[in-house]
Amino acid sequence: MKVLSRKEKTQARIASRRKDTLYYHGMVLPGMLFLAIFSYLPMMGLIMAFQDFVPAKGIFGSEFVGLKHFKYMLQLPDIGRVVRNTLIIALGKIILGMVMAIVFAILLNEIRLKFLKKSVQTIVYLPHFLSWVVLASVVINMFNIDGSVNQIFSAIGLNKVNFLGSSQWFRKLIIGTDVWKEFGYNSVIYLAAITGIDPGLHEAAAIDGASWWKRVWHVTLPGMLPIILLMAAMNLTSVLSAGFDQIFNLYSPVVYEVGDVLDTYVYRIGLVGRQYSFGTAVGLCRSAVATILLVSTNKLTKKLTNQSIF
Amino acid sequence: MLDTKSKSAKIRNLVIYCIVIFLGLICLLPLVNILAISMSGSAAVTANKVGLTPVDFTMTAYRRILEDQQFWRSFGISVVRVVLTLVLNLVLIIPLAYVMTRSKREFRARNIYMNLLIFAMLFNGGMIPTYIVVKELHLLNTIWALILPGAVPVFSVILLMNFFYGVPKALEEAAIVDGASQLQVLIKIMVPCAKPAIATVSLFSIVGSWNDFLGGLIYMQKVKDYPIMTYIQSLSIDLQELVNSSMNSAALENIAELSNKNLNAAKIVVAVIPLLLIYPFLQRYLISGIVMGSVKE
Amino acid sequence: MINRKKAGALLLVLSLTAGLTACGGSEKGTADQSTENAENGERGTVEISIGRQTTANPKFPEGDSYEDNAYIRMVEEELDVDISDAFEADSGDDYNRQVSLALSAGSLPDMMKVATKDELTELYENELIADLTDVYNNYASDYIKSIYDSFGGRALEDVTYDGKIMALPATSSDAGPGMFWVRSDWAEEMGLKVDEDGDRCVTLDEVKNIAQAFIDADLENTGNVVGMTFDSRMTTNTSDTPFMMNAIMYAMGAYPRHWYQNEENELTYGSVTDEMKEAVALIRDWYEEGIVDPQVGTRTWDDITALVTKGQCGIIFGSWHTPDWLLNNVYALDNEAEFEPYVLVDENGKVNCTHYKATGEYLVVSAEFEYPEIAIEILNLIYDDMVNSDELLEKYPEVNTYLNTGVDGTARPFNMEVKSNTYLLDEYAQLKAALEGTGKKEDISTAEERSNYDAIMAYREGNEDVTGWCKIHSRCKGVDLLTYLVDKDLYNWISPIYPETTTTMETNWSNLQTLEVESLIKIITGASDVDTGFEEFRTAWYDQGGEMILKEIEEQIAE
Repeated sequence: MKVLSRKEKTQARIASRRKDTLYYHGMVLPGMLFLAIFSYLPMMGLIMAFQDFVPAKGIFGSEFVGLKHFKYMLQLPDIGRVVRNTLIIALGKIILGMVMAIVFAILLNEIRLKFLKKSVQTIVYLPHFLSWVVLASVVINMFNIDGSVNQIFSAIGLNKVNFLGSSQWFRKLIIGTDVWKEFGYNSVIYLAAITGIDPGLHEAAAIDGASWWKRVWHVTLPGMLPIILLMAAMNLTSVLSAGFDQIFNLYSPVVYEVGDVLDTYVYRIGLVGRQYSFGTAVGLCRSAVATILLVSTNKLTKKLTNQSIF
Repeated sequence: MLDTKSKSAKIRNLVIYCIVIFLGLICLLPLVNILAISMSGSAAVTANKVGLTPVDFTMTAYRRILEDQQFWRSFGISVVRVVLTLVLNLVLIIPLAYVMTRSKREFRARNIYMNLLIFAMLFNGGMIPTYIVVKELHLLNTIWALILPGAVPVFSVILLMNFFYGVPKALEEAAIVDGASQLQVLIKIMVPCAKPAIATVSLFSIVGSWNDFLGGLIYMQKVKDYPIMTYIQSLSIDLQELVNSSMNSAALENIAELSNKNLNAAKIVVAVIPLLLIYPFLQRYLISGIVMGSVKE
Repeated sequence: MINRKKAGALLLVLSLTAGLTACGGSEKGTADQSTENAENGERGTVEISIGRQTTANPKFPEGDSYEDNAYIRMVEEELDVDISDAFEADSGDDYNRQVSLALSAGSLPDMMKVATKDELTELYENELIADLTDVYNNYASDYIKSIYDSFGGRALEDVTYDGKIMALPATSSDAGPGMFWVRSDWAEEMGLKVDEDGDRCVTLDEVKNIAQAFIDADLENTGNVVGMTFDSRMTTNTSDTPFMMNAIMYAMGAYPRHWYQNEENELTYGSVTDEMKEAVALIRDWYEEGIVDPQVGTRTWDDITALVTKGQCGIIFGSWHTPDWLLNNVYALDNEAEFEPYVLVDENGKVNCTHYKATGEYLVVSAEFEYPEIAIEILNLIYDDMVNSDELLEKYPEVNTYLNTGVDGTARPFNMEVKSNTYLLDEYAQLKAALEGTGKKEDISTAEERSNYDAIMAYREGNEDVTGWCKIHSRCKGVDLLTYLVDKDLYNWISPIYPETTTTMETNWSNLQTLEVESLIKIITGASDVDTGFEEFRTAWYDQGGEMILKEIEEQIAE
């Protein structure tokens, strides 16, 4: 057998590396091709943000207006309140939504009755499939003055509350009902993350006399951390979207003060003269913010866990 | 479980069972409500009298769905769409995710591709330019218009990627020593190990493409080509908007007949059933789902 | 390596872009060669693509569709054309989106309807639509011309640009004031006289008393009767939109959301007038007294419908046709239910009412389409011959069946109405005559009213069918009230100005509207004081663009 020289070994490695590289490009290419056609090519449309886009003139015929729409956005009288509402509602949904999904996943994991576990898991994932148009009427019926919630309130001696028309309650209602709708579906990911944790770790902790709480805190949660961070990063990208369909179907002028968000606001502006350019400008800002947030959480994750998300 | 017999553990378990069952119940309520509505008389529904049990029980809504040819046509279109989307998604994202797990040393272009993926996830050109692309490719009114624009779900790529990190390197190296190419490593080692993660992204793909209605509204120019959710959406009418758009009284009457909410409720129920059926099937894989994606070496 | 890859990707994108540009911009400019062969009448079968509005409930008979139904078959045979749909979409947002997409992609259908004046102007300015002046003058039947003329020039003026008729407008006939429908079976049971003097007109005090009486009586034992309630937008710029406060405000001389010349001949926006302030103050008082729904401002349409249907509310503000599609639910649940419509009068005993904008939507013909006269011919066929010629309906019995079974208007090539300004009262006069025996059913000119006649007769003979109940309410009570107002000369008509969207409107209008509903609801629910609240609103309204818009509209009028 011929002993390979060092040089030959390196050459062989380079050759195989070349071959690998070729494979890699080949494997990436089909996906990238689709992205090029259906994502990157349409991104030309982003120039609409710098135009007064008129459909009849098309993207190439419309007049350029520079930063007009961005300036306009910043000058809108209600922009401060709208951004504040959006951030409060979106952050509330992200944080509470994640907490709820994680807690639920941990609790469900404790259930030993297989039948119960499987059916509850299937049931909680149902509300995700109902659109807000449908659910809004359910929510309204529950929370209006004659609704079941108020009936319970008055039964236990509390004052009736017009939840949908109250500045104190509206955001809570929005966040709460959204968490309720999505926690089951979102828990799918966390549940899977839990079941993957090495049971040996739990047993070892139990032998050491750790209580259930301690095991959750020191074994389960750390085991879930990478997925939690991944989801947190992904969710944060939607911090400027507070959920159009939900709010649109539940809000009213009475609660604009606390409930009017970026999407509903832009929608109302768009009703007067189909403002595609303005909508694109808002979208562009939103994407920019999402990018900044995603990149920074990725860096943070890398610091915390030594492994970046992407 | 060593401590299951202790008293405190019993109490704890009881509390947990109660909470979980309670959460299950509050998620069940709206669906029961919608189910009850679908089986109630329409006047009772309009009067908001239906709670968790049907009022003036009737199955006419379901009978009408059975006769609604467009409903089943749309249902079929959605089934085809879901299957094709699923296949295309998996074929595209599995190799993508695999390559993205290579280090920069192994594949120098890796970060460029990764950034391109992230960029595509965060930015989009909007409805009009995408429509023009689809139109110029002569895909309008074909099922491909519902499939191709969403061919590469980047979030799923990232999820899958995080899973591939968890497959022991040793397995991969052993295969390479045996002379396997990168493609063979992917197919013979990664995919079998990744079954649970693939089930997860499949779930997202199925749910996403079944539930999407906007694609149908934009790319399908004939009602007969609508997928199911687009069709259902086109039936759920906003009487208020219509009255404002200066409709004549005869047209309003026709429309109001449909605010027969029981029929719409029945359509929602029927449209959710396939998703209900598919879940327990995928659940088997999901139990050990993304797991390994989260536990990295 | 990296660079090569990068360059490759870039090149790919660029090449695709280039292809796209070429495709996008090329499809224009064959407009001129068109009219030549139109003259000699030899056009053969003409293919027409149209933009089609659809509805959720078209009621097609088995096998028929939008592209292939009785109307389309009739038009195709009569005019030797072949109609196909370039796109179909639900009227409203979905349809408007398809129009914008078609425009953006540079592929206009041969004929389509656009929903707004802004779109029409955009099409005209970009020379995408055909000048219809000649074909209208040469081809439109006298009857069609008389319909448009019944609006006193307002209809065609709206579509005339630089002296050229650029579209065929859908007409939008006055539907009278917002009336209020009272549960007359309740009133009777309580021995309550709603309208002591029997003049079908009621004052604000009187309507308040009725509401209070209904609340006190709670005849259906709901435990929670709502005196009167309103949609969260509160007011609109059409006189008779259901669940609006318009009627109350009109009775106090306030015309919210309307632009009009006031008595001093100054251009005014109705929502910021002193009369408006008084009207808002009145509703606030009623709110405090519990006459107006404590949840006003958050009510959705479904909520209100449910309240009415459950018997929790006995006063409903709305149009003459409200019984047909809303109150029918009340009857379905309680066939003892009866309603009677009344109008609110101002202190002079007059019914203040605003004219509708004469035109609704616009039918346009692509500049590239060779035979624009076909659009007019279709108009003649559907809106003249089909109404006035018995032979046509005899030749196409299936069209007659469509009319009688209420197949939706979206089945027609253009889903629009072209009717004279007084059609409502004219048709009702025929119906009334037939019902009273002074006329005959055969003399009723429209199929719709003929089937109304049948339904009413059947109901009177005791079939208790909901359709008969509805038609008695909408026609014999609703339209009858409108007729009465004309006969007794009780109207005080306001002619609002319906401006085009101005530059400032484009940027500020949405905010101003938000400001308006938010400020007013705060005053009504007591969250802010009447005087300071309204003055703040008024000042803010002028400052945030209102003043500018008034100027711009004045300029528009001056043109």
